[in-house]
Amino acid sequence: MSDNVILRINNLHVSIEDTAILNGIDLEIKAGEVHALMGRNGSGKSTLANVLMGHPTYEITDGTIEFLGEDLTEMEPWERARAGVFLSFQYPQAVPGLQVGNFLRKSVQAIRGENAPGARDFRTELNTAMSELNVDKQFLGRYVNDGFSGGEKKRFEILQLLLNQPRLAVLDETDSGLDIDALQTVAKGINASTTSESGCLIITHYQRILDHVKPSHVHIMIDGKIVKTGGADLALEVEAKGYEWLSAEND
Amino acid sequence: MAYSDLEVPDRADHLWRYTPWHRIHPGGEISDVPEAGGAVIDLHSLDGSTEPGGVSLEVATAEDLERLSVNGEEDISTQFIKALADGNAIVLRVERKAKPTQPVLLNIECQGDIAALHLLLDIGEMAELQLITRITGDAGWAGILRQGIFGNACNVNDIVINHMGEGRLLRTDGIHLGRDAQVKCGAVGSGASRCKADLRYTMDQVGATLKVNGSILSLDGMHNDHHVEILHLAPQTYSRLDWHSACAGKSRTIGTGMLRIEAGAKGADAGQLFHNLLLSKDAEADSIPELEVSENDVVGCGHGTANGPVDDDQMFYLKTRGFSEGEARDMLVAAFLNATLTDMGSEVVHEHLLNILTRDLAADL
Repeated sequence: MSDNVILRINNLHVSIEDTAILNGIDLEIKAGEVHALMGRNGSGKSTLANVLMGHPTYEITDGTIEFLGEDLTEMEPWERARAGVFLSFQYPQAVPGLQVGNFLRKSVQAIRGENAPGARDFRTELNTAMSELNVDKQFLGRYVNDGFSGGEKKRFEILQLLLNQPRLAVLDETDSGLDIDALQTVAKGINASTTSESGCLIITHYQRILDHVKPSHVHIMIDGKIVKTGGADLALEVEAKGYEWLSAEND
Repeated sequence: MAYSDLEVPDRADHLWRYTPWHRIHPGGEISDVPEAGGAVIDLHSLDGSTEPGGVSLEVATAEDLERLSVNGEEDISTQFIKALADGNAIVLRVERKAKPTQPVLLNIECQGDIAALHLLLDIGEMAELQLITRITGDAGWAGILRQGIFGNACNVNDIVINHMGEGRLLRTDGIHLGRDAQVKCGAVGSGASRCKADLRYTMDQVGATLKVNGSILSLDGMHNDHHVEILHLAPQTYSRLDWHSACAGKSRTIGTGMLRIEAGAKGADAGQLFHNLLLSKDAEADSIPELEVSENDVVGCGHGTANGPVDDDQMFYLKTRGFSEGEARDMLVAAFLNATLTDMGSEVVHEHLLNILTRDLAADL
């Protein structure tokens, strides 16, 4: 394995209650790369995101997932987070009673461990990230995702992405439900988090976020398999032609 | 009516279904009134820096007892604690328009086999006050009766923390709210092996607002039974009850609510919610909210209850943010209890309560 491979998935098969969802995924993401994964509803995109994060509902029936050369499937979800995997949820959970400010501070401490900033530096980082995402300071006193609008939830996910500084960011339909301004803000955050040391997997229905975040690779998923891979142009082609022609090719 | 004249309540009664009188009585002959020690009480500002201006503790006069002993004439808990206190009471008096700069902390330390305190609350008109009452001590049994009047247009946050040791606690409140009074009453509990609390609020003056919040941590073999009764007698009165109990070990928690809107309480708006978080398979929680509405012209009147374990999706979300199984669980328990804690008082009061909750959780979970 070359040193700059962040994520390597080989022949991944996943089921939920004996129903196969993923049917042999192969994917490799190297440092500095941004991959976009597109597909219709129910094609298995979110399943892949959840499996990467270790959601207990899904059963891996075959294949391997390596993260920085380690077997990711042997790790608990929090171990994956601490190792450098981040999932931006399509529908982030509300936790009434858990204050955003405290949650962020503790989460950064847990994930970045010895490299976590001290109190003063954390405040500086937090202020910078919030300013980048146009997030008001009053946000810190609210409860995690409790009563947040759709746009606020997505901004909060990206705020965590910026603060946690993962090696692999998996963004599950982070662009869904955003207006133009929010989309640009979120895209700015994604770009700011992408470095030469990290990789990014953007799961999306639409090409429009890719106007703001340039992917190095685009993959099309149908029925739990990646059926086509290409460059940024492939997203435009799918946007123009839909998925039918790929389904036909796949058949 | 004296204690000796009252009959032992029937278990069929809503109030006595889960903790019958003989289980919360200190023991011995149920008809006897045993000898009780007093409780040691002290009053100071939350930060300890100043005497709370306009707030005093005094021995109750006959006039105080007559005027402030509201509710409970035929209630066995009320009359039993009065009998234990042998007709003596202490008044916490807040002057008209008093506005202490700091929250006020009233410590009640219960010692000996049996401790009892009859506390009268005399909150003056237009007073603004945050009162934290902390019940502590290693008494085998303690009875705390609080009765009083929160005056017209006062603005009061009244929080009672049960931090008793292993003993049993019988708590009874009878509070009347004045016209346009804005009152928040909080109950925070993580003490006493057995606790029976009967908290009654009467809104017989127009325009009163009452919010009752509970944040109860029940551990090991604890038995926590809270009954909250809110009576709307006057028009344009508003009440909300939000009660959160986290139940671990083999503990049992009970929350019963009685919301009464009497004829004539036009424009009343009332609601009550009980939430129980079950942290072990042996923990048990019962919530019974009840409504009695005798007025047609009400803004709203609703109730609800929800029991459940820690939410799997919330757990997964926190785990993906770097928290281990235990850390995520503890955070969710703290968040669950904090959700009601946060509405009990100002930021300073909330921080004080949150520190207590954090210490309790760290020690007990």
